[in-house]
Amino acid sequence: MLKIENLTKVYPNGTVALKNVSFEVPDGEFLVVIGLSGSGKSTLLRCINRLIEPTEGKVYWDKTDITAASPTELLHIRQHIGMVFQQFNLVRRSSVMTNVLSGRLGYANPWLSLLNIWPEEEKRRAMQALERVGIPDKAYSRADTLSGGQQQRVGIARALMQEPKFILADEPVASLDPVLSHSILQYLEQLNKEGITVICSLHFLDLVHRYATRVVGLKDGLKVFEGTATEIDRAKFKEIYGEEAQEVRATTV
Amino acid sequence: MNKKHSPVLAGILSTFIPGLGQFYAGLRYRGVAVLLGMLFTSGIVAWYGKPIWYLAPVLIWLWNIWDAICAARQGRTFSVLLPILFGFVAMFGIGLAVVGVDFSKADINRAIAIMRPMFHPDFIQKRAESNQAWVEVMVPCLPGRSVSGINEENGKKVTITPTCADIGEALTITASGFWPNTDANLWWEDPSGSVKMIGPGEAAMLVAHTDGSGTLTASFKVPTTATIAVPDVTQSPPHRVYLEQTRLLGGFELSYVGGRVLQGALQTIGMALMATALAILLAIPVSFLAARNLMSGNPFTYAIYFIVRTLLNILRSIEPLIIAIVFVVIVGLGPFAGVLALAVHSVAALAKLYSEVIEGIDPGPIEAIRATGANWVQVVRYAVIPQIVPPFTAFTIYRWDINVRSATIIGFVGGGGIGFLLIELIRINNFRGVGALFITIAVIVMLLDYFSAKIRERLV
Ligand SMILES: Nc1ncnc2c1ncn2[C@@H]1O[C@H](COP(=O)(O)OP(=O)(O)OP(=O)(O)O)[C@@H](O)[C@H]1O
Ligand SMILES: [Mg+2]
Repeated sequence: MLKIENLTKVYPNGTVALKNVSFEVPDGEFLVVIGLSGSGKSTLLRCINRLIEPTEGKVYWDKTDITAASPTELLHIRQHIGMVFQQFNLVRRSSVMTNVLSGRLGYANPWLSLLNIWPEEEKRRAMQALERVGIPDKAYSRADTLSGGQQQRVGIARALMQEPKFILADEPVASLDPVLSHSILQYLEQLNKEGITVICSLHFLDLVHRYATRVVGLKDGLKVFEGTATEIDRAKFKEIYGEEAQEVRATTV
Repeated sequence: MNKKHSPVLAGILSTFIPGLGQFYAGLRYRGVAVLLGMLFTSGIVAWYGKPIWYLAPVLIWLWNIWDAICAARQGRTFSVLLPILFGFVAMFGIGLAVVGVDFSKADINRAIAIMRPMFHPDFIQKRAESNQAWVEVMVPCLPGRSVSGINEENGKKVTITPTCADIGEALTITASGFWPNTDANLWWEDPSGSVKMIGPGEAAMLVAHTDGSGTLTASFKVPTTATIAVPDVTQSPPHRVYLEQTRLLGGFELSYVGGRVLQGALQTIGMALMATALAILLAIPVSFLAARNLMSGNPFTYAIYFIVRTLLNILRSIEPLIIAIVFVVIVGLGPFAGVLALAVHSVAALAKLYSEVIEGIDPGPIEAIRATGANWVQVVRYAVIPQIVPPFTAFTIYRWDINVRSATIIGFVGGGGIGFLLIELIRINNFRGVGALFITIAVIVMLLDYFSAKIRERLV
């Protein structure tokens, strides 16, 4: 169970990206965060694993207060939180294998890992992760030679290496075409069914309907909606996305 | 354009004040530019006072009137190519006058005398072995001081008669045990070690031929320039006459000058390597201070960033050659001065390039690696190093490539290496050596160009 209490983020330049956001994520959920560009989705996800330091508020994970964790404790907490990014964020010049193994850095022997030396067991685990996302043959290619969809699968494999309790996915399919979007989200759905909690921000409402077990809507840093996808009617939609908004479907191409 | 302008008025205005017509027609910037251009051109022409150049401002003035008329008639104008051309002609004239191109001092014969040997570079020579012997002779004859006039070694025997003589007197030399049927060169060496010719007119080598049994006889006179030790003639040591045969062994070997050229080239490359290595050590820490994304956090670090950047820019704008002159004064002639000069310049250049690499780092992977629970050393190892090492290496190789070229030039001012050798060879008029040196430089630069481009292609 993840509990977010009165989370507020004010950037040094004065931008208020989150205002008093509170909600809970029970284990096993596929929670989708929606909202316009600039509404604070990325900020929210990054405050959970403290890639961004929240200004105020608390994030609890079961009994642990993530926001109060010491730097060392924070590293241990992050070990168990996988993260997937819109821009994939792979190290482009490194091999796919190295990228996947880097998901294991929190567990690895710090000295050997600096030499990029990994035990056979970890390499096997990395191969398994790549097999799960269907690209074991790319293990020794340079990451930037892969297509966007393949790179995002590497991103998921990297998160899998962490044996995560939950996964934060910040618009994981926004850089991909609709068909690929489904294949990537299906991997996340599969992981979710195996018991990993997923918190994912998405843009397209049809994807939200298809995958979300619950939805949180943000607007200008405020939580304006919480409920199931089916509860998003016309009025709610306008509230989240503004008066002029038109619904766009990812699959209407 | 919507307002009507009178072309006649525009023309008249521009006749009196260049640019005013254009200004009137609504093209303000053009008007000002024409006026300034006109003043500038007239100014420099007046300054140098060559009457023929007044053509340039006159032509610009004429063009300006025509341009004003066009501007008023159509609200638009044509190219500024014409006045730029006139201005260019005037500038070229001034340049010519200042530089003072003067072919009268050029000497075609001298040019040929220099160029011809350069096309026979002294780099390799035919492999040969030699067979040498000598005999002593006293000059002049003095009581109580005599030599045997015979010298035997390694189966060769040389005899000279008489065993003493005065300048200009005849001597006969006999030698046996040499290679048969081969030419032998003979020359004189006085006690100070300086070599004198004893061939025709004392201007050429005396050549004698051995017979079938390896024996030769030759007659010559004591050279007029043979130094007789002063002030005490009675203490004068003996002079020597040398004989030498050479024969080819087939194949080629590096000549003496060729060897020195290669040595110089290696030294130059070594200088560049050392300077680059020194520069890397300093440039890496400095580059972090010169990276805007790392330093713009607070006013203090930003001030450091600004100061470092400014210093680097100043340092980079000073030619390494000039830095080298300073270092020659400080640490003396030799490669070390060159290395220091190159290193200083390279630190500035590399730090700037490195800092740009650091500024261009993609924050995405850093964020991703942090999210896995990696500590900061691991983040640097997995997310930062892979992003900066290849471009750092590429820039460093490029810098080394530049440093090799600079090191060649820096030798000129006493910085050692191949450039220093070049000055030396020119000073002693060894233009065959200069030819060999040019070829070596060309080959090095071409090889370096090729390989550094290849490696950089790989990395980027
Ligand atoms: N580092 C930062 N410094 C200052 N302001 C920031 C920073 N990052 C984000 N912001 C601002 O905070 C607000 C929320 O940004 P955030 O990136 O969380 O939005 P988002 O919902 O993820 O948008 P998108 O859909 O475009 O990714 C925006 O107004 C943004 O301009
Ligand atoms: Mg975002």
